[in-house]
Amino acid sequence: MNKWRKLKTGDLKAYLSGLAEKWELWVPYFNDGKWEFGPYDAGRDIDFPDSIINVSLKQLFFPKRRSIATFDENSSWSLKQVMPLEKPRIIMGLHPCDVAGIKYMDKVFLDSEHKDVLYEAERNRTILIGMACGKMEDNCHCTDRGLSPDSSNGMDVVYTRTTGGYLLQSMTKKGEPLLQSDRLKDTDEKPVKKDWRRGKYKIASPEEFMTMYDDRIWHDLSDICLTCGICTYACPTCVCFLVADEKFKGKGERVTVWDSCQLQSYSRMAGGHDTRKTPASRVRNRTLDKFAYSHLRYGQISCTGCGRCVLVCPLKRSFPQLGATVTERLQKKKEKVAAGKEED
Amino acid sequence: MATIELVPKPATINEIIEESRDVKSFVLKMNEDRAMHVLPGQFIEVSVQGYGEATFAVTRTSKDKKEFTISVKRIGHLTKMLHRCAEGDVVGVRGPYGNSFPVEDWKAKDIVIIGGGIGLAPLRPVIDHILQHRKNFGELEIIFGARSPADILYKEDLRGWEQDKSIVLHTTIDVPFEGWNGRVGVVPVVVKDLAVKPDSKIALVCGPPIMIKFTIAALKELGWPDNRIFTTLEMKMQCGIGQCGRCNIGEKFICKDGPVFSLDQIPAHAI
Repeated sequence: MNKWRKLKTGDLKAYLSGLAEKWELWVPYFNDGKWEFGPYDAGRDIDFPDSIINVSLKQLFFPKRRSIATFDENSSWSLKQVMPLEKPRIIMGLHPCDVAGIKYMDKVFLDSEHKDVLYEAERNRTILIGMACGKMEDNCHCTDRGLSPDSSNGMDVVYTRTTGGYLLQSMTKKGEPLLQSDRLKDTDEKPVKKDWRRGKYKIASPEEFMTMYDDRIWHDLSDICLTCGICTYACPTCVCFLVADEKFKGKGERVTVWDSCQLQSYSRMAGGHDTRKTPASRVRNRTLDKFAYSHLRYGQISCTGCGRCVLVCPLKRSFPQLGATVTERLQKKKEKVAAGKEED
Repeated sequence: MATIELVPKPATINEIIEESRDVKSFVLKMNEDRAMHVLPGQFIEVSVQGYGEATFAVTRTSKDKKEFTISVKRIGHLTKMLHRCAEGDVVGVRGPYGNSFPVEDWKAKDIVIIGGGIGLAPLRPVIDHILQHRKNFGELEIIFGARSPADILYKEDLRGWEQDKSIVLHTTIDVPFEGWNGRVGVVPVVVKDLAVKPDSKIALVCGPPIMIKFTIAALKELGWPDNRIFTTLEMKMQCGIGQCGRCNIGEKFICKDGPVFSLDQIPAHAI
């Protein structure tokens, strides 16, 4: 186990400026009422939120609009792929649920017969400095998803707040050079382990969710959902995209753009056939994808418990609550079957 | 340099065949002069620069594997652009993707091929394969339905199959049409009228969703078991490699786990 090293609060800026000389550095900034990652700016004050960054890390590895090729509109064929970025990068201030989101994206884009090389390049050039959460927000429920607010799993460096500064520890070879700074001093201090709350949203097993396909509950749930899709954009594991050509003043780009299974156009084919025409069918698709299909495909459900979907919902409906509601209904059905009563 | 799978490579339209009033076939060849190893049932993504791309079943491959054909019904944004292309134009191609019909498992089996309209396109490579390896298979029965005589495609093939003593061919149109002396009736009804027996045969079904649904119902009524009815499904696909998300049926992606499925591999609601 590597040693903990201490950075005094007063040395933070100098330490970060040192990193920014060698690496492209990204840190959280509070802009317009929300936390999001931005390029390090030595002129701005630095702070780290104790819990989630509102805009998920997905954006930094798989941007909402991503150019994959360029072309000249006046030629019949001149499509040329873009070059993957190689400049080493540090992202600092992410949390355990962010890493869980990235690991899920790895399964989609890297554990594939056809790897996404642009995503892979973003992964390879990035060092992750993760922060143990200081608290759980109301909607946080990573503890119900097999994670912990102070887990360092998947991080290259982990840090935590302490009296008068921060404690840092490198977790991987990739993270070691970041601990070499003169601003850091060896310390015997250790982060204090906390007890975290659990059981906010009880979720049934993937196999149980699979039995709910034909249940009427999706109609009930779709009555309280606008199927606006905002939860899918906020979600760190929702990576559905479309491929499109954009043209502007003779120059063209082929891009991937985030898409959402909650939108009506998502599955509609040329000619009008649509397998998910109704809001109920789309709410069902997302709920089952999060809590069952993902597990059957990749061996892990695709909810990290970050709670961003709740924060962004215009109706302030909680998506994990949908999962919990389905779970309650499952439980009731089971009890009825056990009591020999007919299902409603 | 690492290649981005989603970026297609240029291919030239070597030939355009007018199949019916709204279907054209495009014979393509990669500009980098290489063979395309396409298995029966696999598909490719075809781009028109500036207009995006769409999914098409490969309906025929030349002997040297360098030329491959897609049949395109003019129905949406990209297909309209493709129909405007001329011989010699360059389009983008990536793939082939997806699984294929397990023709190697069907040695000595009788095969029944049931196609509705453009749905015959992904089935034609299976017919080609059987005819190229004729002695490896039993009887071949083809049921092909089109809306009207003007919608019948692959006319040259149909003439050839009609004359081929080793094939039983039934061509039907949906409703009576002046001058049409052949069979009339939608495919599911024809299947029932012909009382196509399951025995140990294999059935392949493809066509518009409604045709697939009722044809499968007809076959089941005739006693066909799920594991011997195969279909190739079509959903909106974009990436073709199981990443963009939209073509899922349950946990399966049509583009990656399909497009070919036997009925026992997919939930009932998929049809």
